[in-house]
Amino acid sequence: MAQDSVDLSCDYQFWMQKLSVWDQASTLETQQDTCLHLAQFQEFLRKMYEALKEMDSNTVIERFPTIGQLLAKACWNPFILAYDESQKILIWCLCCLINKEPQNSGQSKLNSWIQGVLSHILSALRFDKEVALFTQGLGYAPIDYYPGLLKNMVLSLASELRENHLNGFNTQRRMAPERVASLSRVCVPLITLTDVDPLVEALLICHGREPQEILQPEFFEAVNEAILLKKISLPTSAVVCLWLRHLPSLEKAMLHLFEKLISSERNCLRRIECFIKDSLLPQAACHPAIFRVVDEMFRCALLETDGALEIIATIQVFTQCFVEALEKESKQQLRFALKTYFPYTSPSLGMVLLQDPQDIPRGHWLQTLKHISELLREAVEDQTHGSRGGPFESWFLFIHFGGWAEMVAEQLLMSAAEPPTALLWLLAFYYGPRDGRQQRAQTMVQVKAVLGHLLAMSRSSSLSAQDLQTVAGQGTDTDLRAPAQQLIRHLLLNFLLWAPGGHTIAWDVITLMAHTAEITHEIIGFLDQTLYRWNRLGIESPRSEKLARELLKELRTQV
Amino acid sequence: MESLLQHLDRFSQLLAVSSTTHVSTWDPATVRRALQWARYLRHVHRRFGRHGPIRTALERRLHNQWRQEGGFGRGPVPGLANFQALGHCDVLLSLRLLENRALGDAARYHLVQQLFPGPGVRDADEETLQESLARLARRRSAVHMLRFNGYRENPNLQEDSLMKTQAELLLERLQEVGNAEAERPARFLSSLWERLPQNNFLKVIAVALLQPPLSPRPQEELEPSIHKSPGEGSQVLVHWLLGNSEVFAAFCRALPAGLLTLVTSRHPALSPVYLGLLTDWGHRLHYDLQKGIWVGTESQDVPWEELHDRFQSLCQAPPPLKDKVLTALETCKAQDGDFEVPGLSIWTDLLLALRSGAFRKRQVLGLSAGLSSV
Repeated sequence: MAQDSVDLSCDYQFWMQKLSVWDQASTLETQQDTCLHLAQFQEFLRKMYEALKEMDSNTVIERFPTIGQLLAKACWNPFILAYDESQKILIWCLCCLINKEPQNSGQSKLNSWIQGVLSHILSALRFDKEVALFTQGLGYAPIDYYPGLLKNMVLSLASELRENHLNGFNTQRRMAPERVASLSRVCVPLITLTDVDPLVEALLICHGREPQEILQPEFFEAVNEAILLKKISLPTSAVVCLWLRHLPSLEKAMLHLFEKLISSERNCLRRIECFIKDSLLPQAACHPAIFRVVDEMFRCALLETDGALEIIATIQVFTQCFVEALEKESKQQLRFALKTYFPYTSPSLGMVLLQDPQDIPRGHWLQTLKHISELLREAVEDQTHGSRGGPFESWFLFIHFGGWAEMVAEQLLMSAAEPPTALLWLLAFYYGPRDGRQQRAQTMVQVKAVLGHLLAMSRSSSLSAQDLQTVAGQGTDTDLRAPAQQLIRHLLLNFLLWAPGGHTIAWDVITLMAHTAEITHEIIGFLDQTLYRWNRLGIESPRSEKLARELLKELRTQV
Repeated sequence: MESLLQHLDRFSQLLAVSSTTHVSTWDPATVRRALQWARYLRHVHRRFGRHGPIRTALERRLHNQWRQEGGFGRGPVPGLANFQALGHCDVLLSLRLLENRALGDAARYHLVQQLFPGPGVRDADEETLQESLARLARRRSAVHMLRFNGYRENPNLQEDSLMKTQAELLLERLQEVGNAEAERPARFLSSLWERLPQNNFLKVIAVALLQPPLSPRPQEELEPSIHKSPGEGSQVLVHWLLGNSEVFAAFCRALPAGLLTLVTSRHPALSPVYLGLLTDWGHRLHYDLQKGIWVGTESQDVPWEELHDRFQSLCQAPPPLKDKVLTALETCKAQDGDFEVPGLSIWTDLLLALRSGAFRKRQVLGLSAGLSSV
């Protein structure tokens, strides 16, 4: 308590000084400085109010003799009054100063003075006498027409900006850059006032002919913040303009998305899809510049987490939303070449990967996968041309497209025939991009062996968990590396979901598999992703789905 | 229904009293009751906004009150402006009480407690009075900041926000007056003409005549279909202007040429009278041989430049108007004797000036001289 009041006194001095410097915020510097401190000052006001409301009027004056000055200075600064809830908190503070029963003239004067300040905050701006007489003459009070006036002012400014944007060369009607910058500063405290939305939108969308950015960074930050916290609602085109003009805002939006994904329930792709769509980032990413920044951030996240499965899943969902948005957009506008989005890819590979499995008959999926495998292998093993980015880039590209990437294991299991080398390679590559040729070849052999056993087991009448474990364990005398272990695990899980007798031993197998919390999470992620994918691609298999859901539910209760 | 109307009456009286020194007799309980009444009426506004008959009855009552209390431009109105005002009658009352110095200390203290109870008081369905007042303060700051940091008076009056707002208010009032009593609008306008600053009033009329069809005001979320079509407001104005030659003369004199052209193009009924005025003005000028220009005899005569500007502006209007103007000029010229030499007939000189002006303009724009249609 004592510490709080010491803090408050220090802050008090600080803000008193600031307010004196800012005065009525009529210059560029004072406006900028005020904008930077708006949120902090509001916090201070809240703390002040909490302290003041416990005291009666006389105590307040004793404790903070200059409080009247402080509050008055704040009230004369329109930026402060315009911001969020500051005007309300100021009023509350002022109310704490009112004396219920003034004992002397000094206290009466104070009451009177406070009344004056309250009136000032709430009274209408005085326009020319003629206007006042006119409105009064018609019988209207300022409160009757204030919303209309504000709306007209906003719309008039917005249309001036638009005209400026379209007729930039007509110097008569041009808006001076200082004026536009000034407007953007004014909007900072007003961002969450919906009346001002058309102006904000116009400022974002209309850029004049100046080569450098005119709008203040505080403006961009304030808009971005409001968008992320859902305190403003702007058309997507305006949001895209914001992110194109102010890179830090885009980065912040991505980080905000990451934060949400981490904090939300892990491993629920449906939720993740909602978050992603909600963030407007996929739609914005239709613009290549934005896509590249977003992709780069995904790339970094992937590298930093050493290829975390959750990040991969997020990238896949994002790409899917992005492709959907792209389809919609390209109906109305020009389409950008693939190369602008994926500069390190050969166009043929890009085109194949972009295809939605839904658009291809199921019988052809195997074929397409083989094709993808060939193209990827070519890119990865191509040493002669010094392929851009090396294996990582190819892998990074591939993992974007979850529709195909997650399908490989399934397809391998479904075909009773000899597993095609191309698919084996693809699977090994997916799980172990960093492997050298030899290691990959070894993995392919192991996988082939496992597949063989699984095939044999699927033909037998009864399955046992132990058998499956043995199959998995084969080749584990040599220390099996984590990626290969993961691969085998996922093969087994796929098998459990699809094999006729799988459900009988599923839980046992999983119990044996999941000996660490991490692996449990991994299995949960796998099941969630599989269900999500089946749903998207319209793969109907009630038995498998039921099993997957039950397992998922059970596992979720365990973590 | 009757009790509702009585409530309305009593509240209006209350509102009227709230800005007088009478409030010195109010104690906290009175303040509380007053605010409760306001809250009730606000609720009424919400509840019956869409209910045709009740709303109409309330509107009529308010309109009568407004008229009786001096609504016809005789000064600031004590009561509620109209039905929409019911939607924020609590704010109105609060502001009046807050600003009234005569209110006693105890009453004021109580008022402030009621208006600003502090955080944590939230109403699920409607905005609390505290929120309304905070929003008002915020909007006030917004207007202040926009005014001093980027707003510029628009040279085109009809696009100027202040002018537009005033015009919207005028049209709204006209509609209400028209709804309440069909013959009244003209008398209403005449009384406004006598009471209000005339120059501003004329500008507002011009802007009102150029407004696109009225869209509902921001506070008005209720059905606008109860009102007649908004174009009627401008019809009333046109009608009134045509019926009051003195006003119309001032109208044509005071306003800039471009604005008048726009108004006349939009409302063709005005063009014959406008042209008539212009010809009258023209006839009053005579040629001063020494100075070589057309001058008037009296100080209030319209000078040559103004006359020329107005005709020039009219000649730049789109076809029906433009042709009418040229025809009128040609006719006058013919009546005067159809001279081609300058200095004999003002109409000849005007036509010459207009043609050469147009010619010069076309030269500047690089257009062919032979295509002059003047």
